[in-house]
Amino acid sequence: MIPLELYILLASVMFAIGLYGLATQRNGIKLMMCTEILLNSANINLVAFSAYQPNVNGQVFALFSIALAAAEAGIGLAILITLYRLYGTIDLDNINAMRW
Amino acid sequence: MYSDYAYLIVGLPVLAFVLTIFLGWHLPKGGGFFTVLATFGGFILSYGIFKEIYPNEILHQSMHWFANFNVGILIDPLALVMLLMVTFVCTLIHTYALGYMDGDHGMARYFAEAGLFTASMLGLIFSDNILQLFIFWELVGLCSYLLIGFWYRKPSAAAAAKKAFLVTRVGDVMFLAAIVLLYNNLASLNLTLPPGEYLLQFKVIYQNVAAIPPDQLTYIALLFFGGAVGKSGQFPLHVWLPDAMEGPTTVSAMIHAATMVTAGVYLVARLFPLFYAAPSALLIVAYVGGFTALFAATMGLTAFDIKRVLAFSTVSQLGYMMLALGAGAVVGAASVGVSIFHLIGHSFLKALLFLCAGSVIHAVNTNDMREMGGVGKYMKYTAMTMAAGGLALAGFPLTTGFFSKDEILVVAWEYGSATTDFIPYILGILGALLTAFYTFRLWFVTFTGEPRSDYHKHESPWIMLGPLMVLAFFALFFGLGAQEPFYHYLESNFEHYDVNFEALAAVGQHHIEEGEAAHEPFIIKILPIIVGVGGILLAILFYYPRFRKLDTRKFTTENDPIRRILLKGYYQHEIYTAWFAETVVYGIALLSNMVDIKIVDATLNKISETTVAFGGSLRKAQTGIIQNYILAIIFGVVVLVVLIKLWLEVSI
Repeated sequence: MIPLELYILLASVMFAIGLYGLATQRNGIKLMMCTEILLNSANINLVAFSAYQPNVNGQVFALFSIALAAAEAGIGLAILITLYRLYGTIDLDNINAMRW
Repeated sequence: MYSDYAYLIVGLPVLAFVLTIFLGWHLPKGGGFFTVLATFGGFILSYGIFKEIYPNEILHQSMHWFANFNVGILIDPLALVMLLMVTFVCTLIHTYALGYMDGDHGMARYFAEAGLFTASMLGLIFSDNILQLFIFWELVGLCSYLLIGFWYRKPSAAAAAKKAFLVTRVGDVMFLAAIVLLYNNLASLNLTLPPGEYLLQFKVIYQNVAAIPPDQLTYIALLFFGGAVGKSGQFPLHVWLPDAMEGPTTVSAMIHAATMVTAGVYLVARLFPLFYAAPSALLIVAYVGGFTALFAATMGLTAFDIKRVLAFSTVSQLGYMMLALGAGAVVGAASVGVSIFHLIGHSFLKALLFLCAGSVIHAVNTNDMREMGGVGKYMKYTAMTMAAGGLALAGFPLTTGFFSKDEILVVAWEYGSATTDFIPYILGILGALLTAFYTFRLWFVTFTGEPRSDYHKHESPWIMLGPLMVLAFFALFFGLGAQEPFYHYLESNFEHYDVNFEALAAVGQHHIEEGEAAHEPFIIKILPIIVGVGGILLAILFYYPRFRKLDTRKFTTENDPIRRILLKGYYQHEIYTAWFAETVVYGIALLSNMVDIKIVDATLNKISETTVAFGGSLRKAQTGIIQNYILAIIFGVVVLVVLIKLWLEVSI
């Protein structure tokens, strides 16, 4: 059986990648992908812990989280499409109409 | 059985109000028949209750409202006769309005507001505590505002409505102050009330009046009287009543006869034990009443507007009612009966006179008597019914007005002979002479002679004449049939509450008269007849073309100072409106406005400006670049983790 530590390691590596992406990228699509990676790293943690304990709560929770992530992605993409129509770009640095 | 549905006396007109205001636009006649039926239903209920509780019982229902206040229904003799009168007269007026208001675009609005007006007055009458009475009192004021300004596109009507509202407001503030003061005093007595009794209920007030310190009692009574002065158009707050003629004539009839101005008299009658224990307040009631009776009558002499003459006459008659109540200092609770009897009789005849005037105006299309003349030829029924009302108002023997006014003058004389203060009596007698004179001046100028302008010569429809005839019957014969039982019934009013008038008399330092006061001289008995008939004869000599012997021009000229003062209404407009309202009040308003802008608003503006500027500088922290936020979050989380770790290390 694969030790729990490896799962946690995988999750933290994914989390770091997501965070790095969020901090460095400007493109809206890329930012959304990074958010997905962050969420999935958390999901891996949930499922891994739940598998190593006689308790399915974590897995159920992960299912909810996936459903939420799908909804979030849908809305996010819709927003990005609208932004693209308005500004002709999805580079978030250029979208600053409400900035001071 | 009727008693269980007493709340419907108010409920039905309120229902009619709701129905008419929402559905009236789609119904014929603006849904006015709802209001008529509801008011008539109220009359049936009141009559049923009358049959059930006459002559020895009262009806009292009450429930807890909040804190130590309650809502309740109290129908004692005083309330009962008022309920019967208001529902009866209002039913007739509403029926008449079906004809009078026909074709007006605002019919639905008229009948809705009229229904609410009736409901508020009925609620005012059967309230069992002073707070509930005050709520309905204010509702009456609101409805009068709406109805006086019914033709709100006419600037004079809008101004009159505003004036009525503001002037009565002066009284209302005093009324509210009186309630607060009364509550304070009653609360400081630390009464232990049995369950079901509350501090501001009339019963509790009556029973504890004697325990309140006399000086406080005088203030309370005077403040209550201030409220009544505003509502009942007594001097000096009478100025709104003649202006209130701007509304439709049916509204004037309602205000003057049944629903509004009687509220003030009713309030004083309702709180009579309280006034009885405060002699100086009662003295002021008598003087204000007597003075108003004469003062308003003199203004009625010269007015040209047919409705204004009647308005001044109302003010004057209300003065008589107050005078009778004031004379209660000597005759005790009997004065309530005398005053309310005049109130009821006056309601019949004044509703009649106004509706007749409305009938004339309906045909002639003007209020100005100088343009009428000879109307009687074309409007026989109106002329006859109005003559009946005029006779009753003038106090012609055996009409209702004769009995009631005669009784008031007798009471005033008794007051005079007990206190050697005959001034109220003299004011009353002079007022009675003038009343007879101006009433028949009105009648002769309007109905006899030659037409002085080109008007429509037609009689009003039967839906308007019917109520006139019913009212004429009552104006003539009500006094003859109902006088004695009425006095007895109302005299028993305060017996239901165990009011100890002897104790109150001791507080008020009254002389309790010994024996029946049947010893007034013969001249006092016939003097009202003499002045009444004399006034009518004078009017005939001056104004009836066939017997004209005297010419007004011989007695006064255009430049006669007295005539000019009367025509100008004692320069009230100049004093109240032009000087007081437009100079003094407006100046104070300007000053307050400046204080408001320069000090109050300026402070607030400064505070808000500072806040906005501070926020503007803080706003820079929000860069709008997502990466910055993420870095801040990462930094924050790292710091938190480090801190928690350190804390764990240290605590272990």
